[in-house]
Amino acid sequence: MVYYLIICRSLTYAQRTAHVLERAGISGSVMRAPKLISQEGCGYCVKIAERWLTNALLVLRREGMTPKQVFLQSADGIYSEVPT
Amino acid sequence: MIYLDSAATTLEKPRSVPMAAARAMTSMASPGRGGHPASARAANVMYRCRELAAELFHMDNPEQVILTSNATHGLNLAIHSLVRPKSVVLISGYEHNAVTRPLYAKADVKVKVAAGDVFDSDGVYAAFEQALTNEVDVVICNHVSNVFGFIQPVERIASLCRQRGKPLIVDASQSAGTLPVDVQGWGAAFVAMPGHKGLYGPQGTGLLLCGGEADPLLYGGTGSLSQQQQMPDFLPDRLEAGTQNVCGAAGLLAGMEFVKQKGIGRIQKHEHRLANRMMDRLERVPGIQVFRGSNQSGLFSLTVEGMDCEEVAEQLARRNVAVRAGLHCAPLAHKTVGTEESGTVRLSFSAFNLEWQVDQAAAILLELVKHGKRAW
Repeated sequence: MVYYLIICRSLTYAQRTAHVLERAGISGSVMRAPKLISQEGCGYCVKIAERWLTNALLVLRREGMTPKQVFLQSADGIYSEVPT
Repeated sequence: MIYLDSAATTLEKPRSVPMAAARAMTSMASPGRGGHPASARAANVMYRCRELAAELFHMDNPEQVILTSNATHGLNLAIHSLVRPKSVVLISGYEHNAVTRPLYAKADVKVKVAAGDVFDSDGVYAAFEQALTNEVDVVICNHVSNVFGFIQPVERIASLCRQRGKPLIVDASQSAGTLPVDVQGWGAAFVAMPGHKGLYGPQGTGLLLCGGEADPLLYGGTGSLSQQQQMPDFLPDRLEAGTQNVCGAAGLLAGMEFVKQKGIGRIQKHEHRLANRMMDRLERVPGIQVFRGSNQSGLFSLTVEGMDCEEVAEQLARRNVAVRAGLHCAPLAHKTVGTEESGTVRLSFSAFNLEWQVDQAAAILLELVKHGKRAW
């Protein structure tokens, strides 16, 4: 499975992101960001299924929320940044 | 015991509050410090607490809700963020030591007091209008006096601050949960409140609602940006160093859920009705002075001629009536009203008080007054 990780500046921001997405019918889970992609130490992200990304970014933009970064997590566990 | 000291702490809580706090103690770990379920449960409680506070007090963004250890903590954060050396701070004549002491502790700060007569909203507003000059950097006002229950004209003062471009800090210690608190509508820079009074949470909890940027008082781990040595520049992390009071937050969440379910308007009416019932019984008795006004919340003060306020409270306590006497950590409010020397006896109510308690407490007090020291 391929997932997208929406990197957030804080746990609370990640929780808010997940909540906003949930209200729009997009399910996502808050989790700690993998160390490899947390640039400044500990961080949090919202993990969503591949098919939701476009819609999720639209919803977040509408709410005035900006993801710090978005990474694609491929089936083999490799992370690659996605331009937003 | 007939508990009439809810302005200090609401003693009777909804049953859900201690249950939630106890459950948190045995099932929740540090929020934001791990990805395991015990940490996630704690994080979830903290977030729901912020979210519900944002809803109750009219804020869009739950990130602007800071969990503090009490209103004093929140006020210290707010004052630390806005008041600088040489600042001029305008405060009302009814402020608590939670405001005046942090200001006193700051070097070279000028404090101006906008004092109006108790229960005279127009007079208080006029005093602010006159004193809010260009030299003022920050305005601080409580929503309700913790001594007299006087509801200050915060909406109008907030509007004045907006017009004149001055940041406003509101101490909502006696109004959160019993009167509408509208952070966005007021445009306040900060609103501080305790969790353990009108929100029915445990002691050691409070909220600081931030309208803008803030500076930390504590520095340390936040679970975010760990490689950076400066504190994060975003809320709530910037103001919440160290592991937070998760058990308290769980209890506070349950308390706020109770307030939401019951309705702030209903709680306000109930407390107001009980306070009026008590004042009706007491104010006609010779020797008792009740401080009463039209714009009053569910608490009031009284004095008894010829009796020390602490003696009155002590005698009531011996008869299982809990009230608070003295200066209530607000000497400025007493000075404004002229009760600095005598102090007052304060009676305050909660959603859990009943009419029979009011009647019984009034009868006990009347008996004490009637017989004076002979009754003791």
